[in-house]
Amino acid sequence: MIRLEINNQSTEVLEGITLLQAIEKVGVKIPTLCHHKALTPYGACRLCVVEVQAPGRPATVQAACSYQALEGLAVLTHSDRVLRARRIVAELLLARCPEAEPVRRIAMELGVHEPRIRKKNDDCIYCGLCVRMCCERMGRTAVGFSGRGPRKRLEPPFGKHNPICWTCGACDFICPTGKQVSSLTTAKNFLPLSNAFNIGLDSRPAAYIPYPQAVPNKAVLDSTACIHLNYGSCGICQEVCEAKAINYEQKPLATELNVGAIILAPGYEIFDARLTKDLGYGRFPNVITSLEFERILSASGPYSGHVQRPYDQKQPRRIAFLQCVGSRDSERDYCSSVCCMYATKEAIIAKEHLGEGLQCDIFFMDLRAFSKGFEQYYRRAQELGVRYIRSRVPIIKEVPASKNLIVEYLGEHDKRISEEYDLVVLSVGMQPPKEVKALADRFGIELNEFNFCKTSAFTPAQSSREGVYVAGPFVEPKDIPETVMQSSAAAAQALSLLESARGTLIKPKLYPAERDVKQEHPRIGVFVCHCGTNIAGVVKVPEVVEYARTLPDVVYAENNLYTCSNDAQDRIKQKIDEHKLNRVVVASCTPRTHEPLFRNTMAEAGLNPYLFEMANIRDQCSWVHMHQPEEATKKSKDLVRMAIAKSRLLQPLQRQHLKIEKSALVIGGGLSGMTSALSLAGQGYHVYLVEKEKELGGDLRHVYYLLNGENPQDELARIRNEVDRNAKIHVLTNAAIENIEGSIGNFKTRISRNGETTEIVHGVVIVATGAKQYKPKEYLYGQNENVITQRELEARLAAGGEFLKPNGRAKTVVMIQCVGSRDTDHPYCSRVCCADAIKNALKIKQLSPATNVYVLYRDIRTYGFKEGYYTKARQQGVAFVRYDEQRKPEVSQNLKALEVTVFDQTLGMPISISSDLVVLSAGIHPHEENRQIAQFLKVPLNSEGFFLEAHMKLRPVDFMTDGVFLCGTAHSPKTLDESILQAQAASARAATILAKDSIELEGNISHVLDEKCDGCAYCVDTCPYKGITLLEYMWQGSVKKVVQTNDSVCKGCGCCQATCPKDGVQIYGFTLEQIRAQIDAALEVA
Amino acid sequence: MAARLAEEWFAICGGCEVTILDIGEPLLDVLKQVEIVHMPVIMDHKLFGQTGENAEMEIPAADVGLISGGIRNEEHKKLALEMRKKCKILISLGSCACFGGIPALANQFSTQELVDKVYRDSKSTEKDGLPHEQIPELTDRVYAVHEVVPVDAYLPGCPTTPDMVANALLSILEGKPLPALSSKSVCDECPTKREKKAVGTLKRRLEAPDFKPGAPLTEMRCLMEQGYLCLGPATRGGCGGHDGVPRCIRAYMPCEGCFGPLSEKANPMVDMMGALSSIGLDPKQIPDRAATFNRFAGAGRLRPAPRR
Amino acid sequence: MGISPVQSVSAVAEAPPAETFQPLIIALCCNWCSYAGADLAGVSRIQYPPSIRMVRVMCSGMVHPNLVIEALTKGADGVLMCGCHPGDCHYQEGNLKAEKRAEAIRLMLSDFGLEEERFRLEWVSAAEGPRFAQVVRDFTEQVQKLGPSPYRTQ
Repeated sequence: MIRLEINNQSTEVLEGITLLQAIEKVGVKIPTLCHHKALTPYGACRLCVVEVQAPGRPATVQAACSYQALEGLAVLTHSDRVLRARRIVAELLLARCPEAEPVRRIAMELGVHEPRIRKKNDDCIYCGLCVRMCCERMGRTAVGFSGRGPRKRLEPPFGKHNPICWTCGACDFICPTGKQVSSLTTAKNFLPLSNAFNIGLDSRPAAYIPYPQAVPNKAVLDSTACIHLNYGSCGICQEVCEAKAINYEQKPLATELNVGAIILAPGYEIFDARLTKDLGYGRFPNVITSLEFERILSASGPYSGHVQRPYDQKQPRRIAFLQCVGSRDSERDYCSSVCCMYATKEAIIAKEHLGEGLQCDIFFMDLRAFSKGFEQYYRRAQELGVRYIRSRVPIIKEVPASKNLIVEYLGEHDKRISEEYDLVVLSVGMQPPKEVKALADRFGIELNEFNFCKTSAFTPAQSSREGVYVAGPFVEPKDIPETVMQSSAAAAQALSLLESARGTLIKPKLYPAERDVKQEHPRIGVFVCHCGTNIAGVVKVPEVVEYARTLPDVVYAENNLYTCSNDAQDRIKQKIDEHKLNRVVVASCTPRTHEPLFRNTMAEAGLNPYLFEMANIRDQCSWVHMHQPEEATKKSKDLVRMAIAKSRLLQPLQRQHLKIEKSALVIGGGLSGMTSALSLAGQGYHVYLVEKEKELGGDLRHVYYLLNGENPQDELARIRNEVDRNAKIHVLTNAAIENIEGSIGNFKTRISRNGETTEIVHGVVIVATGAKQYKPKEYLYGQNENVITQRELEARLAAGGEFLKPNGRAKTVVMIQCVGSRDTDHPYCSRVCCADAIKNALKIKQLSPATNVYVLYRDIRTYGFKEGYYTKARQQGVAFVRYDEQRKPEVSQNLKALEVTVFDQTLGMPISISSDLVVLSAGIHPHEENRQIAQFLKVPLNSEGFFLEAHMKLRPVDFMTDGVFLCGTAHSPKTLDESILQAQAASARAATILAKDSIELEGNISHVLDEKCDGCAYCVDTCPYKGITLLEYMWQGSVKKVVQTNDSVCKGCGCCQATCPKDGVQIYGFTLEQIRAQIDAALEVA
Repeated sequence: MAARLAEEWFAICGGCEVTILDIGEPLLDVLKQVEIVHMPVIMDHKLFGQTGENAEMEIPAADVGLISGGIRNEEHKKLALEMRKKCKILISLGSCACFGGIPALANQFSTQELVDKVYRDSKSTEKDGLPHEQIPELTDRVYAVHEVVPVDAYLPGCPTTPDMVANALLSILEGKPLPALSSKSVCDECPTKREKKAVGTLKRRLEAPDFKPGAPLTEMRCLMEQGYLCLGPATRGGCGGHDGVPRCIRAYMPCEGCFGPLSEKANPMVDMMGALSSIGLDPKQIPDRAATFNRFAGAGRLRPAPRR
Repeated sequence: MGISPVQSVSAVAEAPPAETFQPLIIALCCNWCSYAGADLAGVSRIQYPPSIRMVRVMCSGMVHPNLVIEALTKGADGVLMCGCHPGDCHYQEGNLKAEKRAEAIRLMLSDFGLEEERFRLEWVSAAEGPRFAQVVRDFTEQVQKLGPSPYRTQ
């Protein structure tokens, strides 16, 4: 070690380092331009000059980067002499390269705004960074200096392009003036590494973090592109990484695992739009895929959420979405199921970004908004001005000058129309990844004709090989909720298979001991989230952080790009430690989704999780005040101030533990209920299966054949038999639920059966109450015996048909779709009717090919592989006639037959069909009894009367109420295999609770302040859980009274708190004092 | 040496002065040790000198000052200031002094409304019979004493209890700290049994509650549960004195709140309305809400209804 | 001990013109339904005026009437309380208790010289994002019509 003085401060540094390193080590900043940590010092720019005095010698001005730190030196980094020298250097540099951004910035910082000498407008400052980079790091000498003095030039050897350059681009990367050095050295074009996460819309370096929310959020090296890994040179990243985290020696590691079951979820690939040549993808820059557009819309995308064309970065004013690109064609006779809705979503979001003026046209064939809530979303898109044009676009042409696109299509009445758009988005379909063939071979599983995994309707999460389960679009194109359901279903199957091994590999997570902060004064840390641009796009986040710093007891505040990301959790823990924080406030999104994450982080940092508070500045602020940035920023400050005010009063809380009753109640004995029961029993739990009718089976009893030919009655018999034989399943038929009490882990249900009432105790509930078929009131149903429903038709067909009419063969059958669906009273799609109609139409054609079948429809929604049957039906001559909601078909009866009149939208004229049989595709409606079950369980219904899950996309089988799960048509209309998947998923989710011996209860429960309570007993009667009792005790000779709460019964509703006339009982975490502090903070003027 | 005692009364009925008499035997001990230097209720003390020669009011210096009654006019205000100046220890005697008491019910109305009602609009008065001369100006509302001058101790109650007065005076004479008020509510001392709060309609006070005469109060059901509006939960305890049982309860009557609210911030109306509506009583059936719950505590809590 | 009064009577002031005034409304929302409904309004990007400051409570039944009265007498221009629809309460019937207390609150507001329209109790379910936004819009408008709270000091 040597000792020297920097700015009159004595300091010790390692021997052999430069003055610059020594100066940086003591935290003094001086400007540099030609210096780079990974390159040898050069001393060219002279910006880093400092005044150096060696003992006994006069002070001199020296470049710090190339001057060695020596014992006894006295250094001044900002003396007048130094600054004068630096300013002259900066002025000269500025005169040479007035446009270079770093030169301008440094000059500005030194107070030099305009050079006094003539500008040279050069693009090279002769700093030599590129030369050193190429020589020292890349091991090439593709560029160097030639000539001296005024004739000094940056040149390749012999002044020519040279094969020695391997076009790595390091010279361009390091150049401070932005000069294209590589153009001197090579004539080759650079191919940037394309960023796969943004579908190649932008580029990335060879050392990169794959995407903003990658887990773990760490950089990786692209081994195919890294210069060091391929040529042994470079290695700069190792040099600059402060954490010394770069390890070039890492190699892929093969690990052998012993597993009992395998779940395959290889996902999907989008269709390569280049294959549809006429649409111009790959040739026309402004024809992009929907996934590219998705990235363009994303805040973390290539343009930070600014919607613009890739070609010229201009905002589009007219966007066309073309549906069914790579779906529903001759080679891919299936529907990708998700494109209609994602196009609708992208159109709405694009309109949100660019305003009402943006024109969004969606070219489609059938709008397949079949899932829960989709039809309503489709209607909303129309209200927002998204235009839907029913046409398949055959060809796109480009306007060469503007690169705009001409879409030519057949409009109504076969009129040729061509329209110009700024941007065309191709709604590309899903297909299995290319690797699945190899995968299938390796795992010995069968694929179907389109290379999706082959499954059966009754084992939809199982491959052809036992023990190998499958999930996601690998099985069939599907949306997020179906994917989530199938994943849980696959997990349930695996859990049943591995029941005996359950829990054998668990390592409990250990948390550090909790720091006792009760005696400490609050020290609050505030973390404000950008949420990409979700918050920061509206709210001025840095301003909010600055403001938070001014509030009392706040000792630390910062902003994060994503406060929920993994690295941010580490940061929070680090800051808790560094600043001895004892309260943490995160201003980001809703505590309903993210509080658990941050509480866990608190625990990991050794703080009680209840010392955490959130301010919801996204859902309650940036998203709902998108056009009022000023107000939103002000409100964010208010919300942060409120959260801080509350956090100051937070106290550490302890959670109670509650024993779990290891059995389940399944309400409903249909297919879903039986499947759930079998799955849970298979995983080792007792199940009470409650059915209101006298036998199990539900609606499956009325299904006689499936589209793919499978016989459901055989399956039903098998399932019923299995249920009957399973000792763990207790079947209660003819049963009515009278009451359900209790909560997760400990429910008590009263069931009456044949006049007797029994009470069962169980830990979880699965709601599988199903739905019912609409009994039509329209189209003469019930008045004419030849007007029947699809279900009645199916029963007749299953019995051979004979044939569909009491007297003689039916020559013409007309089916009417959307009866009791997609109308004002039932604004949702019943999902199954299109496929059912086609199933029955095919059956008619099979039994009596001469019978004419007409299907009057609005959109045929044969999503997924059902599309193939639609094709087949058309091939077999089933006539599909499209009608409009405004002009519904009319059915009239005369003496001979039924007359169906309909306005054919395709032909543009009314037609009339004289028909022997009219079949109504009656919709699926929720049971009225749902309401009562919902009340018992404290779970919500949606506006149509179906049960409402915790999250439409991500938690499709959970309720917000813990311990209650949902499956089958009680959730929404769905097909048989979808019901099975959801039922298995519900059992997997329920098993996550039943697998535990106890659960932790919330800490936010009620608590009596003995010094304030004097037993007036008002709260006793108001407690809905009967959790408060009045105690009497003797004190100084007289009887005193006080109330006591029961922690295991208390749910923390706070009825007692709001009743007490003297603040004598309060809810931990929501005390009157805490709520009052929030209100007071809100009323303070910022 | 005997302690010098001054007593002054403002807007009050005089009941609290009677309470001093009610101390009973201990009063003899007290009287031996005090010298009453000023007490309008029993002494004709001239405020402006014996012949009215002084321009300013004057009260003799005293060790202890008692003030009963709230401040209703400018004279009260001046007297309060004078008492504070001359007394080492100043005590608010009774609920009127502590929180305005019954006269403070007038705070629901503006001074003009009051004057009009009493001197102009009532049938029995002559029009424009408003007295003008030799009458001190009314203050804008009735104030509790401590709203005008700092007070060292409070003896609430309507009237206050002899026990409390005796304890306070004896403590001062013995040089002990003044006894603290109870921090608990009337319910804390109330011996009645609680089963389930009343629902349905409230009973009127003159209906007799259900109790067995002569039986201990512990056998009587809580009066609220019997359907009587009882302010016990929102009223400071301690009125029972050495007996320990709240005075009204002892008389089979529900608490009316004369000991005032439990804390300076507490609002008995909101607290009680909250509690009553929580157990399912129709809040509309409570007559004259503001006055009912603030019968004795109107000084800071009642206000005239605003006109817009 | 001290028995000091609540705020003086003279706080009642004249209302300035309503057009320019941005009310400050305290919204007390229950965690299970209304707070979720507000989140849904956010997720659906349904715009509403930036007038409310939301306080999350577990149940509308835990809000003591004192909190409402205090908020209004400390200068809030309005208080909006939101709970689950009757029958949907996560805690059985907290919302019905809140409804009873709301009656009492409305009665008492006149005792404090306040219009009862400054307080509103609404049921908003987790699925009613648009309704939440509508409630905020309506209530904001209603409070705007009333003008600033007479207790407002700034």
